[in-house]
Amino acid sequence: MANSATARALPPISPLKTRLRKSFFPTPLSGAISLAGMAFAAWALWHLFQWAAWNAVFIGTAEDCRAASGACWAVIADRWRLMFFGLYPHEEHWRSALGCLILILVIILSCLPVFWRPLRLAVLWVCSLAVFILLMRGGVFGLSYVGEERWGGLTLSIFIFCATALIGMPLSIALALLRRSSLPLVSVVTGMVIDSVRSLPLVTILFAVAVVLPILAPGSSGTKIMRVIAGMALFFAAYQSEILRSGIQSLPVGQDEAAKSLGLGYWHRMTRIILPQAFRRALPPTVSQFAISFKEVSLVIIIGVFDFLASGNAAYGSGEWAFTYVEVYVFMAFVNFIFIFSLSRYGAYLERRMRVGK
Amino acid sequence: MPAAVTISQLNKYYGIYHALRDVSLTVQQGEKVVICGPSGSGKSTLIRCINRLEEHHSGTIDVLGHVLDDNMSRIQEVRREVGMVFQNFNLFPHMTILENCVLSPMLVRGTARKEAEEQAMHFLTRVRIPEQANKFPGELSGGQQQRVAIARALCMRPKVMLFDEPTSALDPEMISEVLDVMVSLAQEGMTMICVTHEMGFARQVADKVVFMDQGAIVESGAPTEFFNNPQNERTRAFLSQILAH
Ligand SMILES: Nc1ncnc2c1ncn2[C@@H]1O[C@H](COP(=O)(O)OP(=O)(O)OP(=O)(O)O)[C@@H](O)[C@H]1O
Ligand SMILES: [Mg+2]
Repeated sequence: MANSATARALPPISPLKTRLRKSFFPTPLSGAISLAGMAFAAWALWHLFQWAAWNAVFIGTAEDCRAASGACWAVIADRWRLMFFGLYPHEEHWRSALGCLILILVIILSCLPVFWRPLRLAVLWVCSLAVFILLMRGGVFGLSYVGEERWGGLTLSIFIFCATALIGMPLSIALALLRRSSLPLVSVVTGMVIDSVRSLPLVTILFAVAVVLPILAPGSSGTKIMRVIAGMALFFAAYQSEILRSGIQSLPVGQDEAAKSLGLGYWHRMTRIILPQAFRRALPPTVSQFAISFKEVSLVIIIGVFDFLASGNAAYGSGEWAFTYVEVYVFMAFVNFIFIFSLSRYGAYLERRMRVGK
Repeated sequence: MPAAVTISQLNKYYGIYHALRDVSLTVQQGEKVVICGPSGSGKSTLIRCINRLEEHHSGTIDVLGHVLDDNMSRIQEVRREVGMVFQNFNLFPHMTILENCVLSPMLVRGTARKEAEEQAMHFLTRVRIPEQANKFPGELSGGQQQRVAIARALCMRPKVMLFDEPTSALDPEMISEVLDVMVSLAQEGMTMICVTHEMGFARQVADKVVFMDQGAIVESGAPTEFFNNPQNERTRAFLSQILAH
């Protein structure tokens, strides 16, 4: 098949010069606009380069930075530990770093098709989160105890994201299936829960779990980070369940009927026939839901959780580096970009792969 | 020998629409019944009631000794013994042909994978496409997909096979490859209930031809009687229409 495809005549390719002319200078007016655009881009790039690299200070003190006209990356060099690890005790930073690496490694592993079995994913995640929590909290194996209130920085952000997705994903499947239940009571109640959660801003939910819940049920509602994760997972699940439901509803009814006619019971029909296909169809919105959730983690700052963004604020907020907020935010944006851009490239890869039918 | 399927006084409504009216039909073991009739006459509804893809409102359906009602485990038992082939094939597009065929025997019957695969290859050979086993449904032609669908149903070793217009979605040149498989299945003694407009097939294998109109059975009889000497006016009109082209 591949042979016949290459043997078939390729569409004629015009020379580069013609193609450039066609795309940038088809008429004098658009030619002029193209030129102006290119000039502006060159100007902007040049200034960016001067600021970010040529005149920048990479290592030094706040004094060196004030003397230079470019970016002050020295603040990152000086304060990166605070941004990555928050208020975690300084001599124990290796634990936070290791924990962060474990989570990133597990995220990458779960992107590999070998791990795409519910059981394998569950084992992988439950084990690694248990290791993460043991490592971070300590109190065993000679590790000193570090309370959750001192966790922070990028490590905490990634942990909140992973835990949110890990709890939110099964919850979203359950909600999507319950909402499609043939028992009217079940589907109506589930629908009401989903719609109420979706009609609240995440900030409200975070306030509710962080501030209101401990007042209503003092002492019995877990640590703040646990409650934040629960709130975020609920919010994630409400949206993701509707994404999944649209995937399920887009399947031809014949799929379920064929599965029924083969004698498959409800669980087998859902887990082997319906959900795998629904996930494939719902892939693009699922990827963007993950990206949104990753960014939404920074909202926890408003209830006093010391995440990546809060740590960044602290990094420049202390007097001597106060003027470097642009550099700090650019750096944080860059870190976020790495994560979310990888995520969307991965989504694109998945779509290409699934078009083949696998 | 008890009948394979006994339907008596069956009524079925879609909302207020009366889709099946007092339908009674008995299918003996090994018997081949062809159901025909104009579009919307309730043929699909009737055979989908037999494996409870549709539920009926009054009357009784007895399949291999199980009387169908809301009891889910009884329904499962019936579905295990009754295979169905659909107009649109309904293969599972995210699985290979082989996976399609071994899935249900492994999950429902608890067959070991090796044995299930051997059995799948046996039936794929019977429908003459063993070489496609590792392809995905999307890579096969319509006729091939329908033959896989038959093989997939056979892998459950059903006692009764239901066909709902299995050739209607196929290009003319692919119809015969599917009919050939159905004929050989009939010759082996499978109990078959087929909704089809392939009258050649009906003449060749049917023991009984049933004509439905407006949700009721209008006429039924052995194919020679049915085709050569139809009693009812509507049957005659239908036959002249369908045999004309
Ligand atoms: N899910 C449904 N809801 C409402 N009405 C339905 C439904 N399914 C079928 N009907 C109606 O019931 C009647 C019988 O439908 P059925 O599909 O059994 O006809 P059929 O004989 O199989 O026709 P065809 O040859 O077109 O397949 C039709 O009038 C149809 O409109
Ligand atoms: Mg029909």
